Amino acid sequence: MTDSHLSRRALLRYGSYGAGAAALAGTAASWDRLTGNDIPGRNDGSLVVATLGSAFSPDGIRALVEGFRKLHPDIRVRINAVQAVDWSDFFAKILTQIAAGTAPDLVYVATEGVQLFARHLGVPLDRWAKRDAAELKEYFADVHPSLVESMMYEGSLYQLPIEFNAADMYLNTQVLKRAGADFPAADWTRDDFTALLRRMKKAGDSHFTPYFWTNRLWGGVVPWLFANGTNLLAESKAPGGAWLWDSFYPAAQRQGRGGGFRWTTPQATADRVAEAYDYLASLIQEDLCTRPEGGNGQNLIGVFSTGRVGVTPAGGFWAGGLHLAGLRDDGFDVQYFPRWRTRRHQFGAAGYALLRTSKKQDAAWEFIKYSARRDTLTRLFTTNQTTPARRSMLTGARYQETGPAHWRVFYDTLDTFPDTGPIPAPPQVAEVTQVLLKHTGTALASPRSVGPALRRMQGDLEKAMERDV
Amino acid sequence: MTNTQVSAVRPRAASAPGTVAERPSARERGTRLLAALFLAPTVVGIVVFTVVPIIGSVVLSLFHWNVIDSPGFAGTANYREVFTDSTVLVSFRNTLVFMVFAVAAQLLIALALALTLNGRMPTWLRSVFRSAFFFPLVLSAASISVVMKYLFNQDFGVINWLIGWFGIAPVPWLTSEHGALATVIIVYVWQQFGFSFLLFVGGLNNIPKEIHEAAALDGATGLRKHLSITLPLLSPTLLVASVVGIINALQVFEQPYVLTDGGPGDSTRTVVMVIYERAFEQLRFGEASAVGVLLFVLIMAVTAVQFRLSRRFVHYQ
Repeated sequence: MTDSHLSRRALLRYGSYGAGAAALAGTAASWDRLTGNDIPGRNDGSLVVATLGSAFSPDGIRALVEGFRKLHPDIRVRINAVQAVDWSDFFAKILTQIAAGTAPDLVYVATEGVQLFARHLGVPLDRWAKRDAAELKEYFADVHPSLVESMMYEGSLYQLPIEFNAADMYLNTQVLKRAGADFPAADWTRDDFTALLRRMKKAGDSHFTPYFWTNRLWGGVVPWLFANGTNLLAESKAPGGAWLWDSFYPAAQRQGRGGGFRWTTPQATADRVAEAYDYLASLIQEDLCTRPEGGNGQNLIGVFSTGRVGVTPAGGFWAGGLHLAGLRDDGFDVQYFPRWRTRRHQFGAAGYALLRTSKKQDAAWEFIKYSARRDTLTRLFTTNQTTPARRSMLTGARYQETGPAHWRVFYDTLDTFPDTGPIPAPPQVAEVTQVLLKHTGTALASPRSVGPALRRMQGDLEKAMERDV
Repeated sequence: MTNTQVSAVRPRAASAPGTVAERPSARERGTRLLAALFLAPTVVGIVVFTVVPIIGSVVLSLFHWNVIDSPGFAGTANYREVFTDSTVLVSFRNTLVFMVFAVAAQLLIALALALTLNGRMPTWLRSVFRSAFFFPLVLSAASISVVMKYLFNQDFGVINWLIGWFGIAPVPWLTSEHGALATVIIVYVWQQFGFSFLLFVGGLNNIPKEIHEAAALDGATGLRKHLSITLPLLSPTLLVASVVGIINALQVFEQPYVLTDGGPGDSTRTVVMVIYERAFEQLRFGEASAVGVLLFVLIMAVTAVQFRLSRRFVHYQ
């Protein structure tokens, strides 16, 4: 049997333990420590603008904020540059912020997320656009209606496009010279394209691949589907939007416009879709093009600038990229995507979406208007890392240093081919993209794989589109 | 607490039937309290960062939730959905195949290298090899995978360029179904075997030299010595290495995500990739949680089987 009474020494020891623990707890509780609220700008009443980290340079962001402050000294603004590898990753991080209760007021959203944000999170800009119509007339006169229409959802406008990129065809001029080929004409066809690849292959060594493409929604298989007069999902226009077209665009330009795009029934097993896949499979079989590799084309600039690739689809963003990679302005050039059954091209655009959770919606609208001004975009887009949505900004002076010689192609892709449209991006875009990439990889493994893979793609797309996100 | 203090604690007498159990002494209670205080931060950490999320995940698996709208009770619908989803089922198959090959390769390579380094070798050279083998483990898996993606590129990669010198046609490392899975395993094993290697080096150092000497006197040399002496005595280390290896392999994510994005098709899509895609790309957090719960059960089951088998195959000295 042990003594149940504590000795004086034990009592003193436990007493000192208790006092020590209490002192530690007290110190910890009163410690002047950093918390999430100490992050500069958080909860200080600033208008929070979330951008894809790599979209703007630090100088561009500084110019954006300082310019806005001069115009609206009463509105504090903070740019939250979210680092992400692509738009899908960016949206995932924004949604995580929203779930955590730290939603930004404005989010920079590309075509991939326009309908997802519009459906669940966005505020239509209609009332502000109508109120400030006089001020916006100059903006809309400078921006192609297709870009604006791509930012509409079910009759309402959700974003003002400030940049876009259409999938045109970049060509390495040194590779062309090596093959003894001329720069292709603007109305070149798919067969001209194939013949050029064969010629390039013949003149190149075993490590040369004439055509490189990345398996993704923008610039992958989809431009070929558009050129062949089809799409992954049946495309139509939502009703509405007349308030915008009638206010800002002349009759010729509002012809056929609606309240935004609708992508509904999957049509992966349509003949023209299969035809596009068969064509790409045949290029692979002939060693004229790379196999579909997932990712964001990060290794493409290197292989293109060193002449190991001759042709690749890209947008205006590549002019700056190739220049930074050390390619001379005459080392590459750009031409329209080759004609197949149609000349329809694909594009993706981006602008700021206003979130429903924002308590500073009027201030946010002021930022949206400011961000679409010509002087703002000129300060923001200094290195040709994208194509400005304003037509007037595409000038010879802008492309003098970086090239390409045929820089007019970037905006003429919209002006010359008015049916050029956005990549198919319904609210279920994440799943649609995953299904597309997954089955494209399988379909192009061999020519016989195309049919079965497209049937599986069709089934998965049907399931994805039935789901209400 | 020192050994002296521990030995000074009076042992509790075994309570005989019909007698009242002896109450712990004040010092014993103090020791227990101190032990509890030391354990508290770890226990709190495990509860907050492991137990609560596990419970949260189980609860979330019973709801439909897209982060944006309020969650809606779904019962077992998420489980029914994942059990009939071919992508989920394929991801489990891929993960199990990956686990078998990756862990086997990892253990074999680590063991072979540890045995080699345990032989006669200058100390400085042994240190160089140990550091070199362990180094990949401290690097970021994503960074390694980005570099490896360049190296294994079918058209422009250095590896195909090198094997091209020997007249070998370009290998579709990342663009064919079997090639992609094999490449992901190669990259994973290259990075991960350092951990098992370090465990084996420690384990081999703990085997008394006298046992090997006695075995040599009895005529056991070479492979026989390793099979009959080294491996049985190393079996506790082998158990730890295989348990950790299997748990890690079942949660593989970065390598397939960066190298192949799960493709071609679904050939390298793993369970954790599916969880990530469902939750953060498709906003189906309930389904993602259901897959997470199933993975948790799988890991528990595999680990339980390992410990069960260890009773037969693991020899403690």
